[in-house]
Amino acid sequence: MDDRSADSDPVTAGESSILDTLGEDVIRIVSPVSLCMLLVVLLVSSLSSTNDLSSSISSLFLSSTTTPTSFSSLNLLLLGSDSTWEEIKSALVTAFSFVVVVTLLTFLLVLLFYFRCTNFLRIYMGISSLFVLSFLGGFISLLLISHFKIPIDPFTFAILLFNLSVVGVFAVFMPKFPISVNQGYLVAIGVLTAYWFTMLPEWTTWALLIAMSLYDLAAVLLPIGPLRLLVELAMSRNEEIPALVYEARPVDPQPGDRVRVWRERTDVRIEATENSTNSANVQTVQETRLAVSEEITAPLIEAFPQTGDRHLGTEEEEDGIGLGSSGAIKLGLGDFIFYSVLVGRAAMYDYMTVYACYLAIMAGLGVTLLLLAVYRKALPALPVSIMLGVVFYLLTRVLLEVFVVQCSSNLLMF
Amino acid sequence: MTVAAGVGYVLIALGPALSLFASVIAKKPFLILTLLSSTLFWLISLIILAGAWRAFLPVKSTELWPYSILILTSVGFQEGIRIGFWRLFKKMEDMLNAFADRVSKPRLFLTDKMQLALAGGLGHGLAHAVFFCLSLLTPAFGPATFYVDKCPSIPFFLISAIIALGFVIIHTFSMVIAFNGYTEGKRKDQIFVPFAHLIAALITLINLVPGGCNIGLPLLCIMAGTTLYYNWQLVWRRLTEHQTTRSSD
Repeated sequence: MDDRSADSDPVTAGESSILDTLGEDVIRIVSPVSLCMLLVVLLVSSLSSTNDLSSSISSLFLSSTTTPTSFSSLNLLLLGSDSTWEEIKSALVTAFSFVVVVTLLTFLLVLLFYFRCTNFLRIYMGISSLFVLSFLGGFISLLLISHFKIPIDPFTFAILLFNLSVVGVFAVFMPKFPISVNQGYLVAIGVLTAYWFTMLPEWTTWALLIAMSLYDLAAVLLPIGPLRLLVELAMSRNEEIPALVYEARPVDPQPGDRVRVWRERTDVRIEATENSTNSANVQTVQETRLAVSEEITAPLIEAFPQTGDRHLGTEEEEDGIGLGSSGAIKLGLGDFIFYSVLVGRAAMYDYMTVYACYLAIMAGLGVTLLLLAVYRKALPALPVSIMLGVVFYLLTRVLLEVFVVQCSSNLLMF
Repeated sequence: MTVAAGVGYVLIALGPALSLFASVIAKKPFLILTLLSSTLFWLISLIILAGAWRAFLPVKSTELWPYSILILTSVGFQEGIRIGFWRLFKKMEDMLNAFADRVSKPRLFLTDKMQLALAGGLGHGLAHAVFFCLSLLTPAFGPATFYVDKCPSIPFFLISAIIALGFVIIHTFSMVIAFNGYTEGKRKDQIFVPFAHLIAALITLINLVPGGCNIGLPLLCIMAGTTLYYNWQLVWRRLTEHQTTRSSD
């Protein structure tokens, strides 16, 4: 402690203060979420001249591909989408049926996990990632190519698409892949799926968002909820759930002290006891050796269990937020997708709603992380953010826009 | 007027903010979080104001007095909120100091506290620029431009970008001045901030008069420069005082 006594100017002495490294983990989860939302907003604003699924598809093909979207467009055809009440009814029906399908599939997932069909689940996850990257990625690339009139021939396109999809599948479910490629491909999968969901009609999107956040709340917190059962099963068996999860690990750890950095961070964050993050004394090294052997035997018990699974129609992602065995925050890809869907739908109205919803979602994420630090169990990441996002969207659209436009058009600002 | 002009307007409004962000705030993750929370705070205050004024809008008259009441109430509310923001800041400082003691690191330095105030102020300025300027800039990326009746010599987007620039500077640095003033208890600093904010907002009232923006814009920039200068003097004084007290121990 002697060298830290206050007798010289901190700037010239080069002392570090807690402000230098505090909050690093949070930023490491906030940046990819923000990047995903930014990409979806850019895609939405450059590609959609109209908001409807049918016009996007009719600009390319004449048939729709996946089940949820064709169901809703079929609904629209049957009910006739002219009146708002009809739209609301079809939106509620679609959202409810989606939640029912997701619940059934999650229970099926729990059953499969219980009977130890882990290989089946991993292969299914790989196939669904391949589907998203190649079919959805190809579809959206074709939309982009036709919109921006990029000159490219079909053979080059096919080779590029094939290569990118295959590398993506490997990046996502092989364990030893470089972490930055893994993170990049997870964000890409999130962007593609979120853009797909923004092509649903407006009322359906909002109903779906609210229904999914309520489902998330129920599934993770209720004792009979499928996600909670899954997490408890995984905890009791000390296994990792095979799923698409974004893990906010640092991209380039130093080669020698890889495990020590994460272990220390876990200690600092959770117990905040004797380990300090920049001292390299012998005690820390001994602690680390113990920690390594402990980690191999019981990764899920001492760090905090992760998250649950949710089947999303075509692929398998994890939902909710938790702490990984290395102490890094893990956020399920489903959360990325739904946050981006909310912001993308806000972008279809106006940019002011985009900024307001972005801030609301960040606030919700912050609150969820705070609750995670307090309660230390798997928590649903959707409800708080989505509810705040919807509230801010409504408030901005109803109250703020009139006020700001009135002031700015008279060049009156404060 | 095309993407280039749109990006240009964004950079006029947010250029100094972006350079402050890249050089000071991006290096410390906690400051980024402070920036996001203060942006949210300002947005909430704006929504409350919009809710309170919703029943009276849109103001159809071209008289001066409804707008001046609007400005006075808005500025008064925001300055009142600033005191609440300062209380939250004090609580956060105490929590950070307690955490620093627990992990046996030094407590918050003066430069840390000033950086936190800077991040808070930049959050306010950023929120202003985003909601009053950027969200209306979408047509600027298209093929045409827009002129307001009262100001036919400068495009609307350029005026709002310059006003946003002025206010970014005013908000950012008045937060540093205000926090220093509340910490030290100096009346001069505490009075300066609401005063500067009010004068700057009243200057924009000049824009209501036809051709007024030719006078209003330079005056606003002078106001921003004054705030910047005052902040510079204050920070210089505090840092040299702090330096001398430390070296005399």
